[in-house]
Amino acid sequence: MRSRGSRLTIAGRELSGLRAEKTILLAIGIQLFIAAFSSFLVVGLVSMYDPGSLGGAEVEVAGAGDAVADLERAAAEVEGASVTRYEDAGAARLAFDRNAADAVVVANRNDDGRISAVVTAPDATVETTVIVVQLRDLLRTYERQERADRADYLSESPLPLPERTGTSPYFTFTYTVLIPVLVFLPVFISGSLVVDSITEEIDEGTFELLRVAPVTLGEIVDGKALAAVAIAPGQALLWLLLLRFNGTPVANVPSILALMTGLTTLVVALALAISALAPDRRAAQFLYSIGVLVLFGGATAMAGGPANAVARLAIDSADATTTALVVAYVGLAAVAYVGVRAIVAENGFEA
Amino acid sequence: MSERPGRSRRLVRGVSSRLRRVLRVARWETARAGGGVDRRTALAALALLLVAVGVLGAGVAAGVVGLDVDRDVYRVGVDRDTPYAGAVEAEPSLTRVPAQRARLGDTADLVIVTSGPPDAAEAVTVLASNSRKGEAAAAAFREAVAAHNERVMAAEENRTAAFPITVTLQYVGRTSGLETDSTLGGDSDAGSGAGGESGGESGAGGGGSGDGGSDEGDVGGDGTAGSDAAGGSVADGDGGLAVPSVGGGAFRADTVGSPGSISPPFPFVSLLLAFVFLVPMNFLIQAYGSSILDERTNRRGEPLLVTPLSPVDIVAGKTLPYVAVAAVVTTLIALAVGGGALSVVAVLPVAMTFLGATFVGAMFARSFKELTFVTVGVSVLLTTYAFVPAIFTNVTPVALVSPLTLVVFDLQGEPVGLGEILFSTGPMTVGAALLFGLGLGVYREEDMFTQKPVGRKFLDALAVRLAAVGGATRPESLWGRLRPLAPVAFLTACTVPFVFVAELLAVALLFALPVTVSIPVLLVTIAFIEELAKSVHLYAGFERGAFARGDRVAVAVGSASAVGFFLAEKATAVVQAVGLTELYVGRAAFGSVAGVEGLPAIAIAGLFFAPLLLHGFTTVLAAVGASRNRTYYALTLALAALIHAAYNFGVVRLYA
Repeated sequence: MRSRGSRLTIAGRELSGLRAEKTILLAIGIQLFIAAFSSFLVVGLVSMYDPGSLGGAEVEVAGAGDAVADLERAAAEVEGASVTRYEDAGAARLAFDRNAADAVVVANRNDDGRISAVVTAPDATVETTVIVVQLRDLLRTYERQERADRADYLSESPLPLPERTGTSPYFTFTYTVLIPVLVFLPVFISGSLVVDSITEEIDEGTFELLRVAPVTLGEIVDGKALAAVAIAPGQALLWLLLLRFNGTPVANVPSILALMTGLTTLVVALALAISALAPDRRAAQFLYSIGVLVLFGGATAMAGGPANAVARLAIDSADATTTALVVAYVGLAAVAYVGVRAIVAENGFEA
Repeated sequence: MSERPGRSRRLVRGVSSRLRRVLRVARWETARAGGGVDRRTALAALALLLVAVGVLGAGVAAGVVGLDVDRDVYRVGVDRDTPYAGAVEAEPSLTRVPAQRARLGDTADLVIVTSGPPDAAEAVTVLASNSRKGEAAAAAFREAVAAHNERVMAAEENRTAAFPITVTLQYVGRTSGLETDSTLGGDSDAGSGAGGESGGESGAGGGGSGDGGSDEGDVGGDGTAGSDAAGGSVADGDGGLAVPSVGGGAFRADTVGSPGSISPPFPFVSLLLAFVFLVPMNFLIQAYGSSILDERTNRRGEPLLVTPLSPVDIVAGKTLPYVAVAAVVTTLIALAVGGGALSVVAVLPVAMTFLGATFVGAMFARSFKELTFVTVGVSVLLTTYAFVPAIFTNVTPVALVSPLTLVVFDLQGEPVGLGEILFSTGPMTVGAALLFGLGLGVYREEDMFTQKPVGRKFLDALAVRLAAVGGATRPESLWGRLRPLAPVAFLTACTVPFVFVAELLAVALLFALPVTVSIPVLLVTIAFIEELAKSVHLYAGFERGAFARGDRVAVAVGSASAVGFFLAEKATAVVQAVGLTELYVGRAAFGSVAGVEGLPAIAIAGLFFAPLLLHGFTTVLAAVGASRNRTYYALTLALAALIHAAYNFGVVRLYA
């Protein structure tokens, strides 16, 4: 009973230090910045790549050549692109130069049966990307129609495409990138806090003072770890609630929080091990950064990495494998923490 | 006459002895830092990296590695024996569930129903759950089918039927009158013909000759060779601005292939490589911040402070090794990714800004924990500030606010003008210098070894730069009275780069909101940023006793600050040159003065000096508040920001 009290006292001391320096506010500020900025980025990029999402972006194509009728047929199927027929390539180009058309497509049938389309798009304007994206859409439709016409010569005909539906790429981005980033940022911060907290105590000699007090080294470690792990799920929950408030429902919140708490424990164990190995703060932080980079970079690159697990939980596509993954991560974290704590409590920190 | 050589010799001697002192500190710092990150640490880091490479390599061998964060996020109910099952299984973001077990909205987001023979045209029906997730899944499925078709076609024997269309994509300048890819398919010099025309609307001549080349449709190796010569040398002949049309040569690479191979002009690989330059900065500032804060804990830096070395010598010496490391690492990366000297020139100011911001953070921080957050903040802010504009490299000249844009140009092999280099690296270099100046202000005993809150230390750093105004001794001459006001105006002028950055960030952050919300919020935010920049050092001056408290002094320093801000703002009229004012939001931020040609001279002069009057009034208001106490200052600052915002709103209304 007494030992639990001393752990809580140490954890409380850690937390009050954070509160006094208002660093936790800075941490939340940084996360808010990342969230707001990535939204800006995505909205900006999406409006460049998917002009339809802005609505009303229409690309006017000046068409010429002997296959222009087929091009017009394709344009009828593509939203946001219309083809105007011109007599010859020169007239089409003239219209382009006079800003009457956004692009020129000269489509001619070759002797070998292919169609060669020479596309002229404007250079050095903001709209170029938008125009090229629309042109690609138009030409792919054209290609699909031509393939359908020549289906008899194909050994396997292409599958018919389903209807186009309106959706925003922002949806996928929110669940697969934004939510995992926001959930994992507090994890890294917590580990970094543990490294700082321990190396600072070693550096200033206050660790010795703490050890004179009637607490064991294991309890000190527990207290510090408890404080660092405790602040992480709160921050993640804050983000998930904010997203829900903004109209992005997040499913399986308890599982996500369990997963991120497990990962925080794992990262805290890593931080403890590193500060035990390298008591100098600079070396410890350096090793910690590399370690986290390796851990998460490696884990994300694997199938079923934590980022993907969070994405699938949040978007409500979780299955039994995802649940098994959460349990596995939590178990791994518990084993790692208990192991590192035992070693540190036995050998102490190098001072 | 005889004095001059003596003085210059003394100057040389002074510089060389200072250089020696700086180098001595640098050597000492290098030796110490080498002890910090010792061989064992380096070995441990290396071991970690080796483990990572090993695991990744094994993963690649086993085929489970792939950076698919969106793996299996959408579940599609489809029968195994339909051809669509293959399309679904090949797409990472889709996962297949057997159709008979699929319940829409519960265990599946899409259900694919095929009726009739699989090669019939209208055979597929997609049932999507009625949600945004269902829509997104349907779009992903459509993409998967298209990708599947491309794969099937690629295996087809009959190339003509599989890829019936060959596309040749070329980019042609329209408004500049200069052909950027002039000599397509022939050696007739279309470029020079078009170049002969005056700027503005390009006539039919240039267009016709360009067409003559492209009509033949025969674009082989000489097509790309021709575009090399034309390049981005669309000089700023007629614009008269330092920033020429940046996109000029950016889209020059002609592409030939099937419609599926068309890719919009987006410098993805170059961007990724440019990002590589930023990665080492994060490690560098960690070590640098630790080294600076180390001096401050346990009064370790005190012996150095009592030596004859000046704080500038110490800080320069301590910073020099890190700058050297940054230069070496940047050069190595440039060599590795194929960048040239321009990449190094562009990245160094970014490195200096990273170090400068970390220096200020380490001077203000009270503990290593606080420093960690400051370092993370610096990393995030500067990385986004450097990286995000570079994404728009080929889209808008505003991208040049980030030096990383130069790196992207360099990696793409674009020629870059001196004006562009200066425009891109200048502000960041100045910003880094100002940050170091700010931090140096508190590199003294009473601030280094005390646990003051960050805000109070910031005020100290500002007040250090101010001269006494309105003290007990009153100089008689006008010059003597005006002279102490110069640092006030100078300090205000120094804030302008930071105000600019803060406003850009505000524009970026509020970009996502609808215009009806973003414009008012932006106006108030920007007015607040500017008012704060003009008055915070005045508050510091009153609080730290540099200024005597009193309304006369408040009016004097307030006016001086307003003049400094006005002059600096006019000096940075280059903002308009980069076309930022063309954005609607940008115009709200920077108050365009375009469209005044038709007005009489007095009105133009009035418009020119109206901002000065505004700045004068609002700053004096805030200064009077600052001369009383904190509460008054907060109130008058808010009032000044509102007045400023109202004025800006008028400007927007006038020009919108």
